[in-house]
Amino acid sequence: MPAERTYFEDVPLDEVVETPGMTVTEAHVSLYLGLAGEPPDDPSRVPDLLPLCLSTGLGWRVPRPPLAVQAFLGLEWEVLRPLRVGDTVHGTSRTRSRRAMRDGGVVVEEHRLVDQHGQVVQQGRFTFLVARRPTEGGQR
Amino acid sequence: MTDGRRYFEDIRVGEEYESPGRTVTETDIVLFAGLSGDYNVLHTDAEFMKKSIFGERIAHGLLGLAIQSGLFYRSGPVYATLAFAGLRWKFKAPIRIGDTIRLRARVLDKRETSRPDRGLVVVERKVLNQRDEVVQEGETDLMVERRSGRAG
Repeated sequence: MPAERTYFEDVPLDEVVETPGMTVTEAHVSLYLGLAGEPPDDPSRVPDLLPLCLSTGLGWRVPRPPLAVQAFLGLEWEVLRPLRVGDTVHGTSRTRSRRAMRDGGVVVEEHRLVDQHGQVVQQGRFTFLVARRPTEGGQR
Repeated sequence: MTDGRRYFEDIRVGEEYESPGRTVTETDIVLFAGLSGDYNVLHTDAEFMKKSIFGERIAHGLLGLAIQSGLFYRSGPVYATLAFAGLRWKFKAPIRIGDTIRLRARVLDKRETSRPDRGLVVVERKVLNQRDEVVQEGETDLMVERRSGRAG
């Protein structure tokens, strides 16, 4: 029995979902720089793409079962304010549009990352290809 | 030229860069899952993925984005980048374990901003695999320091 997932048919439009927070630490920065292969800069400065990378994982920690993503198709993203080590961010998201395709559907989500002062630090849109709910007795 | 970095004034529209390659490993994917908290089955469940259209685990799209960001620093003289302002990005094909990716980048546009110490540089980027297929592509907006604005 596979874990429950949110299929295309079940994605609610315009419902705002809020994630728990994540304090960005020196460990996050160091792991990110090693993985990305970016040269180290000021150690208290959070690399601008790191919060974006944290946003997808934060989206997993909400009451709704994770989206049955078949493919991440693309994104548009804006970095509005720099983050420092020790800042805490959480995410908010909502589904802006759903378009049915033959094998699944395209879902566009609007995402924001908000710091401990309530300021939006990064924002944008993610586009996913999401699986349809499997039919009874069909393949999963 | 003091530190070898390239300032807004030094960068020309149409310049092209190509990075060395980097082989994306299972370790990269496991580490990225741990860092991001994105444990989607696409990246973490080998048995589930055997039955998928990909046939195996694939890299997180955002891992590819992070790796190309590192490859940009290895593509030529480093920009005096102050901030990453934004991006428009498409994930075109999967990056599989063992694929070797590299970055091909071109300066698309340069714009003045309201602040005298910096300018906006738009870089078009294509991430290619070992078969020269474009796996990711898009445009990135970089805020780059101005030489003339430094003393002010």
